[in-house]
Amino acid sequence: MKNLNSVFAAYLAGWGIFFLYYISIARRTAALREEIERLKNSLKRAK
Amino acid sequence: MKKHALASAVVFLLLGAAAYGALFVAPTEKTMGTIQRIFYLHVSSAWTGLTAFFICFLANLVYVWRREPRWDWLAVSAAEVGLVFTTVVLVTGPIWAHPVWGIWWTWDARLTSTFVLWLLYISYLLLRTLVEEPDRRALFSALFGIFAFIDVPLVFGSIRWWRTQHPQPVVMGGSGSGLEPTMWYVLLFSWGAMLSLMALLVRARFEFEAVRGETDLVRREAEGV
Amino acid sequence: MSLFSNTAVLLGKELRTEFRSRELLTTTVVFILVVVVLFSFTFDASSAESRRFAASLLWLAFLFAASLMLQPCFLREQSNDTLSALRLSVTDPFAIFAAKLSANTLFLLLTELLMLPVFSVLFNVPVFPVFGELVVVLFLGSLGVSIAGTALSAISAQARMRELLLPLLLLPLLTPVLVASTRVTLALLDTEPYMEWKGIGFLVVFDVVFLTALWLFGEYLLEE
Repeated sequence: MKNLNSVFAAYLAGWGIFFLYYISIARRTAALREEIERLKNSLKRAK
Repeated sequence: MKKHALASAVVFLLLGAAAYGALFVAPTEKTMGTIQRIFYLHVSSAWTGLTAFFICFLANLVYVWRREPRWDWLAVSAAEVGLVFTTVVLVTGPIWAHPVWGIWWTWDARLTSTFVLWLLYISYLLLRTLVEEPDRRALFSALFGIFAFIDVPLVFGSIRWWRTQHPQPVVMGGSGSGLEPTMWYVLLFSWGAMLSLMALLVRARFEFEAVRGETDLVRREAEGV
Repeated sequence: MSLFSNTAVLLGKELRTEFRSRELLTTTVVFILVVVVLFSFTFDASSAESRRFAASLLWLAFLFAASLMLQPCFLREQSNDTLSALRLSVTDPFAIFAAKLSANTLFLLLTELLMLPVFSVLFNVPVFPVFGELVVVLFLGSLGVSIAGTALSAISAQARMRELLLPLLLLPLLTPVLVASTRVTLALLDTEPYMEWKGIGFLVVFDVVFLTALWLFGEYLLEE
């Protein structure tokens, strides 16, 4: 079972890339949602 | 939220099952041995990337026809996700090549074509950052997206023709190496798992685009007050 | 037939504009010469090896030159908003593209034909025995470059960083043209020259596919 390390490395690298991408989208979406809340609150107060 | 968590769990399970299949169910390949198991991740990523770019192409066509922003959102989401899958192909290729050939890159036909594909869609995303007006940006990127996609078969075809003139080490053993039935099943299952991951990622990215649109609206309303 | 007559009139305008000053042609020719000289420093240009690299150098130099030469194509229509005038003057918007890409193909071909004898001398490759065949591959390759380049120039003219954007969009797209043209040229400059018909086939397919795409979608590139 030589080269098993490389197989694991490939799977780790692949899944790592997918995971990082997903996390980055989730974080940015959450940040935007926070901003909407903030803006909506300031609008409510202004009215 | 609950549906989303359930979907993510299903995708995660499918990916786990696909990895298990690749590592334990699939028979060991005769000539290359264990290292060949990267094949299931590498090829399924490649096929999924192309599927994503095809979805981008369809979204581009519909946008040019209908001019509704959600088709532009789908296009950029599919393109970005396709690019992620293509990156995985370009990363797993050298990880496979190094133990087998001792070198990281071989300018093999499929890997080279994948590199050009990657560059094409990076250009697509860069174009979007350089056009400011939203409608114009959507239209121009849709048109470039259409040109880029119809170029894809020409890129792959011409590079493959070029490479048959100067045979190089072929990553993944080439199309000549036969696949046993079990290998086909594992490969197709891997592709299915990858497609479910693609759907999840595209949906998340699309949602981000939609929320961004909403944020702009609320922002403008707040400024107007 | 109005597409044909519209194109002919606009083509006349494009040619007259260029031949009045000839600035595009002269700067492109000089640019290619500079690129060739610089390339020569990066390998042993006098050896037998140089024969093999001549075809690659030829097409790389032409591609880089074209990606710069195609910038003004739609950029010059922005001052004084002559693009609107063009749009009003034709019934079929494709005529604008047909005229511009024909002019660009002609300019590229002219530059390439001027450079051929220079290449022949500098890299010791016999060009005249296969001159006819070379003209064919130069024409088909330049046509491909012009079709894609003219279309993308309409996009880059309205974007930021347009000097970098046009090559960035154009060069990956033109990979099939580079691959096929270089292969055919390599075969023609070989010690025993032969015609690589598969390469010609690829070029024809590329040209037809992209011309059709431009015909179908060109009008959207010209939208207000």
